[in-house]
Amino acid sequence: MLVVFTALIPARYERQFRDSPNASPSKQFPLGTDDLGRDRLSRLVYGTRVSLLLATASAILSCIAAAALGGLAGYGIADKLILASADLFLSLPWMFLLLMVRAFLPLNVSPLLSVTITFLLLGALGWAGPARVIRAAVRKLSNSDFMLQARATGSSRLLRRHLIPNVMPILWAQLWITIPAYVLAETTLGMLGLGVMEPLPSWGNLLRELEGGGIAGHPWLLAPVLLLAAVVGSFQVIFEREEYSV
Amino acid sequence: MLRQLRRIVVLVLASGLACALLVSYAPGTAVDERELDRRLNEASIREIRSNKASAADILSNLRRYIVGLAKGDLGYSESNHASIAALIADRAPETLREIAIGLTGGWLLGLALAIPKRGFSILAGLLLSLPIALIAYLCLAAGAKSFLVLVIVLTPRIYRFARNLITQANNALHVEMARARGVTETRILFSHVLPSISPQLLALAAASASMAIGAAIPIEAICDVPGLGKLAWNAAMARDLPLLVNLTMLVAIATTVATAVSEIRHD
Repeated sequence: MLVVFTALIPARYERQFRDSPNASPSKQFPLGTDDLGRDRLSRLVYGTRVSLLLATASAILSCIAAAALGGLAGYGIADKLILASADLFLSLPWMFLLLMVRAFLPLNVSPLLSVTITFLLLGALGWAGPARVIRAAVRKLSNSDFMLQARATGSSRLLRRHLIPNVMPILWAQLWITIPAYVLAETTLGMLGLGVMEPLPSWGNLLRELEGGGIAGHPWLLAPVLLLAAVVGSFQVIFEREEYSV
Repeated sequence: MLRQLRRIVVLVLASGLACALLVSYAPGTAVDERELDRRLNEASIREIRSNKASAADILSNLRRYIVGLAKGDLGYSESNHASIAALIADRAPETLREIAIGLTGGWLLGLALAIPKRGFSILAGLLLSLPIALIAYLCLAAGAKSFLVLVIVLTPRIYRFARNLITQANNALHVEMARARGVTETRILFSHVLPSISPQLLALAAASASMAIGAAIPIEAICDVPGLGKLAWNAAMARDLPLLVNLTMLVAIATTVATAVSEIRHD
């Protein structure tokens, strides 16, 4: 829907209407304009796309890493090393780790590079939790009766026919949990000035407009909050339904 | 017990070393803003550069740090122009107070809301859908104190987990039997439900302590609270290696000890 929406919105996210900075909502600008005269609705639509794609791509990256490392550890390959690395990542709170590592990386970068850095950072730091879950699942499946039977019959496709199909639902569940967590993490990073850089919009840097404390007279500044809550809330509902259906 | 202790020491040292490595390779680490001071002559600038270069040798610094640590010396923070031990002693009470109030409030509210059959699931879901930084902004705009932000952040997390546990425990056979025999709901709660879920609640206590520490950074950065979170934030921005390593190790100690305590109790 948002992809279709971008064709209908009045302007591109970076276009400045210099005659109307800080404009209130009107027919031309349904959510008004920011202090540089950029249409807030356009920026919100583009920002939603950036935030959702970024979080999904990062979640996929960390789930692939978790599947590879958790799978290896579950099979007993480099188990101690992988577990120790996961323990090291989990010994620091996720938010502390994320903010510290991002603060160590270059801060004054181009928008595209900032997206790449945020994507890699979220993907690289979030593997530890899912990897432990995958490791436990692989270990349990490896010792299960049907795997023993498959091994006894001399099946050569243990991994492809028996293990991976049974681990996939767990990996999907991890992906569903990770995407909203990354959406929230990107928003926090963006609000602290460490996420996606201007002029590229994202929910995080759009919400920085609240910093001035002008919510009282400008309720339309909360539009990204509504969208964010709706998206993350939907993920929670999906996850709860999946959990109960299992 | 000894194994847990060894694990904690190894994890804390490894996190300190990883932090030192990260800072050493971070852009801007080798640069000191004093080099821009026009009042300094060539010799002074050379001295600053050689000091910076010596700080880049991680292993010798770690050795020096451990020797200093044995004497109670945590080093010196260049960005704050103060000894690190004094800085931590100065800032820790604020963060500890904030975390203590946040955890107490979060647990009391979370458990109190989880016990009745009609909960606040929708509000909890809404609060869980908002980033910590945004909650901090909104609370700041409403004039609320920083510890209240932590209560608001922790309550829905504790509520959701505790509610699931209580619902499961309420459906257990022995609880159904007690209910059928006419035992009061209060007695069922305190004699059957809460004792049966106490190991999981203890594990949640450790996780909530870790959450509170993690949430303290954005909250303190946004609400401008002079605590350890703000100190860590400023140190990261200023690439203050000694201060960051100490703070990272402090956070790692707090988190791993909390986790270890819950694991020991669980075992």
